[in-house]
Amino acid sequence: MGQAFETDFWRDQAARKIWDDIVPGEPRKTLPYELTLEAIQKYCRSVGDMHPLYFDEDYARNSRFGGLIAPPAIHILLMFACTPADDWMRSPGTVNAGQSWSYNIPARPGDVIRLEARALDKFIKRERLFVVHDNVFFNSRGQVICSGRGWTIRPV
Amino acid sequence: MNGFFDTLTADTRIEGPAFEVSRGSIRFFCDASLDYNPLHLDDDYMKGKFGKTEFGGIIMHGMNNFGLITRMLTDWAYEQGGTHRRLETRWVAPVRPGDTIRPLGHVRAKQVTAKSRWATVAVEVRNQRGEMVASGEAMVEFPPEPAG
Repeated sequence: MGQAFETDFWRDQAARKIWDDIVPGEPRKTLPYELTLEAIQKYCRSVGDMHPLYFDEDYARNSRFGGLIAPPAIHILLMFACTPADDWMRSPGTVNAGQSWSYNIPARPGDVIRLEARALDKFIKRERLFVVHDNVFFNSRGQVICSGRGWTIRPV
Repeated sequence: MNGFFDTLTADTRIEGPAFEVSRGSIRFFCDASLDYNPLHLDDDYMKGKFGKTEFGGIIMHGMNNFGLITRMLTDWAYEQGGTHRRLETRWVAPVRPGDTIRPLGHVRAKQVTAKSRWATVAVEVRNQRGEMVASGEAMVEFPPEPAG
């Protein structure tokens, strides 16, 4: 990864947008992120996914993928890796209500990932403040890896 | 491999392995996903109220469910030449340390399009009490083999 990641999500809280400030359609600031094999395998271990496509170079090279890949859900890591510390996705108390993702091609170790992201919608339902976010991850060649939306309940 | 898609019916079931949730597994998921939201780390913070919701203690990341569903689907699809193409999920109930959860799926529909073949799979995650904690729908593509 290279750059240090701030694990204290309270630290930059004052700089983050709250629900009232979020403008649907406005692009979010994002950061390029080099996806390493180490980061892929750490994610895989966290969900007990030890498939050889992520761990065994010989197996992966002889597969239809032609080399080691990341599992589709690697966007779980990429979402936080590609957004700066003052992004509202890191606001403590953000509750994830659901997500939908479409997968095009797998991310691979060594890819420098780029994220295009924005809030797409915000609304109030049953006294809860919702924001819908919209995200597309690209690899170094500009190919779409995956795209997705998430529904979060914002902290009050 | 080509025949696998034809064998899929509404009775086709998919099952992933059980996953034991602990404070350690949640902490490891923080490190692996870089999601350090105090919802998953700070019991004192979680004693508070979240609008109308009270959790009472730390909870597992909703996306940990997502990762377990994806693992189940890729294990199933890779072996048959398929590709996991889509996943939509909702979190229905919080998952806490001490819970054991398991993803499940069943084929809901099949569709042949101009260039490929698709299975729609209903997915869910249940805890050790049989309570649903996540539900959703996935799509897996089974490309036709080249003619010849």
